[in-house]
Amino acid sequence: MSSRERILEKLREGERPFSPSNPPAFYQPMTPVADDDPAALRARFVVEAQKAACVVHPVKTPEAAIGVILHLLGGETAVSAWDLAQIPIPGLADALEQAGKTLVGQDASARVGLTGVDAALAATGSVVVMSGNGRWRTASLLPPVHIAVVQGNQIMPHLESWWAAQKADGLEHTRQRSNIVIITGPSRTADIAMQLVMGMHGPQELHLILLG
Amino acid sequence: MQNRANNFIPMAQVALNDADLQTAVSFGTQAGFNKRQAAMFADGEAHGQAMRQQAAAIRRRALNNLPELLEQAEANMQANGIQVLWAVDGEEANRHALEIARRHAAQSVVKSKSMVTEETGLNHALEAAGLDVLETDLGEYIVQLGEETPSHIVVPILHKTKESIRDLLIEKAHMPPTDDPETMARFARETLRPRFLAADMGISGGNFIIAETGSLALVSNEGNARLVTSLPRVHVAFVGIEKVVATVEDYATLTQVLPRSATGQALTVYTHLVNGPRQPGEADGPEHVYVILLDNGRSAIYNSDYCEALACIRCGACLNGCPVYQATGGHAYGWVYPGPIGAVVTPLLTGLENATPLPYASTLCGMCKEVCPVDIDIPRMLLDLRRDLVAQGHGGAVWGVGMKAWAWGAKSPTRFGLGGRVAASGRRFMPQRLPGPLNGWTDYRRTPQFAAKSFRQLWQERKGADDEQP
Amino acid sequence: MVERPSPRGKRVSLFVTCMVDMLYPDTGLSVVDVLTHLGVEVDFPLGQTCCGQPAFNAGYWPEARQVAIQFLKAFKEAEVIVAPSGSCAAMVRHEFPRLFADDPAWRGEAERVAAITWEFSEFIVEGLGVTDLHGRLPTPHTFAFHDSCHGLRLLGLKEAGRILVGNLQNATLVDWADSENCCGFGGLFSVKMADVSGAMLGKKLDRIAQSEVDAILTGDVSCLTHMNGGLEKQGQAARVRHIADVLAEGVRHAEPGQ
Repeated sequence: MSSRERILEKLREGERPFSPSNPPAFYQPMTPVADDDPAALRARFVVEAQKAACVVHPVKTPEAAIGVILHLLGGETAVSAWDLAQIPIPGLADALEQAGKTLVGQDASARVGLTGVDAALAATGSVVVMSGNGRWRTASLLPPVHIAVVQGNQIMPHLESWWAAQKADGLEHTRQRSNIVIITGPSRTADIAMQLVMGMHGPQELHLILLG
Repeated sequence: MQNRANNFIPMAQVALNDADLQTAVSFGTQAGFNKRQAAMFADGEAHGQAMRQQAAAIRRRALNNLPELLEQAEANMQANGIQVLWAVDGEEANRHALEIARRHAAQSVVKSKSMVTEETGLNHALEAAGLDVLETDLGEYIVQLGEETPSHIVVPILHKTKESIRDLLIEKAHMPPTDDPETMARFARETLRPRFLAADMGISGGNFIIAETGSLALVSNEGNARLVTSLPRVHVAFVGIEKVVATVEDYATLTQVLPRSATGQALTVYTHLVNGPRQPGEADGPEHVYVILLDNGRSAIYNSDYCEALACIRCGACLNGCPVYQATGGHAYGWVYPGPIGAVVTPLLTGLENATPLPYASTLCGMCKEVCPVDIDIPRMLLDLRRDLVAQGHGGAVWGVGMKAWAWGAKSPTRFGLGGRVAASGRRFMPQRLPGPLNGWTDYRRTPQFAAKSFRQLWQERKGADDEQP
Repeated sequence: MVERPSPRGKRVSLFVTCMVDMLYPDTGLSVVDVLTHLGVEVDFPLGQTCCGQPAFNAGYWPEARQVAIQFLKAFKEAEVIVAPSGSCAAMVRHEFPRLFADDPAWRGEAERVAAITWEFSEFIVEGLGVTDLHGRLPTPHTFAFHDSCHGLRLLGLKEAGRILVGNLQNATLVDWADSENCCGFGGLFSVKMADVSGAMLGKKLDRIAQSEVDAILTGDVSCLTHMNGGLEKQGQAARVRHIADVLAEGVRHAEPGQ
């Protein structure tokens, strides 16, 4: 008998441990969001993201977004970016080229990573980043500075609403994304005598360019 | 990990006399407890309690359907390209990991935090086979440098002061001297980064497995769990069989109630899901992902009255709230899991006879149950374990005799009343130091005084009536 | 809270508890005096000894059962049972049904007494609906509460005692941050794990010293014995009092006509 069979058989040996119950018709969201109109969600997102130690750059135009990116890059010539077609800023590729910046894919020495996001969560100031073609994981992980481009209409109330949307689309799509990470702020640790240090193994800074 | 739980009392004494440990543990648990209070009730007391109940129901529902959920999880993980292995015990789990390493010619391993791999002693097994294993969670890295064991489920080095961490990093990792935690953290980042990049295999634990989607769920703050599960070409996850939950809705609740209880965060910095190895067209991610489902005594607990212990989501809130843990720290508990949940699962997973003091290392104050995000009735289980210990002959001969004598006296009102009168008349001779195992009382407290007349005597005098015989 | 039948108008059988019986009989008299003042008829079944909790908590359930059976016999005629102890009341309410779950001879009786057992302060406030004893302390005093763990977490005791003491004239209640922290007694824990118990007690005593109130009030004499024993060992005056004694003092000094 395989270990699998031994374990499953053991679990089925006795009676079930608890009385049977059904899932609730409605799951209470952990972090309630009272006001879910787009302006309120956006405002809440900004507040929560800042609380999580993100730097939020609200911009109205692609040119302004490009301006922020170039400013954050400063003198760095290398940027570890997603395939730029996946980042919703028209003209970005040309602007970076004209500024003499090189796209280095997953080069671990790059100091700045640039990505889009798949969704944003207002309740916690989080961004949802899914892996895929042209969307490498390391861009939001290795460089000390991560710039994430968020569109206003990507902001949802909370994690529960994001999952509801995934389910509505069919979970098979979600499952095909090999890696999904919900990012809330830059990396950190409090392991040393409970003192909070921002920036541990992941990025030390998280900049959110908020479009629209 | 070697089990020293039977030495709780002397180890607790050492901890009580260690001033640095007292400072660190006091501070760490207080901070953890306060953060939990603020986070769980950020939207009001009623909401926080309702979420605890929602989470408690989710875990019990999952446990009730555990075999089916495991099968569903396995099928969905396999469909996603994850290879699923099962291990009855720690040795088998370690063998799986070694086989995988050999198959993929993996020599260097980076690990993110996994309490389950402490149970199985994975690091020793891999090192004995010639592999090079590096713990990457900052606290676990420091534990590894110091050749210690973690003392808390969430904050492995809660017991260490900043100065002792500094000294360890200087001595063992050649860190340039500094007292600044940020500088220490940067040093660790720079030291460990090349190891992440060069590693052949990454080993992680697993906070949950979502059966509905076949996803492995991890929560972390440092980024090391993402690195471990994204950079090396092989990723192996060790997960206890009790960690399966049914649906994404269940997961959403649990992955938010866990950080609130553990660190006071609404979400950890990285709340992520591993759905499978890198897909065609993806430029990074492991080529091979394995999940090892580990039993190691859990199925026996499942079939017992202690099944609710498997609802635990390893948040550490019970440790932070427990006045005994606050006094002794985690090492006194002698094995992988300290604090209230440790006092329950250590005897259950390793054998009652190997952890006899632990169920007694509690005043049954109930704080653990009060802070548990899934409402596990730890005090009830501690009482039941005490009953089991006594029934199996581990109660201790002196206590056994004493209890029988006490019961003989206390079950008869005549003997009880007489005993009281004898003690009262001898109260002038009450010793400064009580005899035998009771002497612990007088180390810290004056002996209580029997009253000249008991209540029942005074009552009868007041009433002046005849005795009513029972 | 499970709905329990109202005890109003019923005879109360006092479950005085073994420690009050032998060590603090005056506290037992305080309970009687307060209940009598409220017009409650009180009897004291002489067959009672102890609820069996020491043996139960230590894991000696057969021995605990023997003593608990004597309790069941003693309270056979009881309509309402009141105890000046959260832990003893919790033993009867929560553990008796469990202790006798497999014993057809005593299970029914165990469940019966569990349903009619009250802790002293909750009996007055929730059972009788009385919040003001119209009592008056002879001189002004300040108090803080120590919430004994079993009472707090198993019985939900928090407000009742505070309401009753707060309504005494000359009594001032002070909030105390340490009120819900365990004193470290835990029954046999205090001797089995004496050093840890002593450490927990030490922290408690420090907080008592910082509290600057006249007395710390509690509803459990086990906690009281532990804390006062520690204070006296340190050479300090005993400062922990049972709530029944303060209420009785207030009732005995009440203005005439109240």
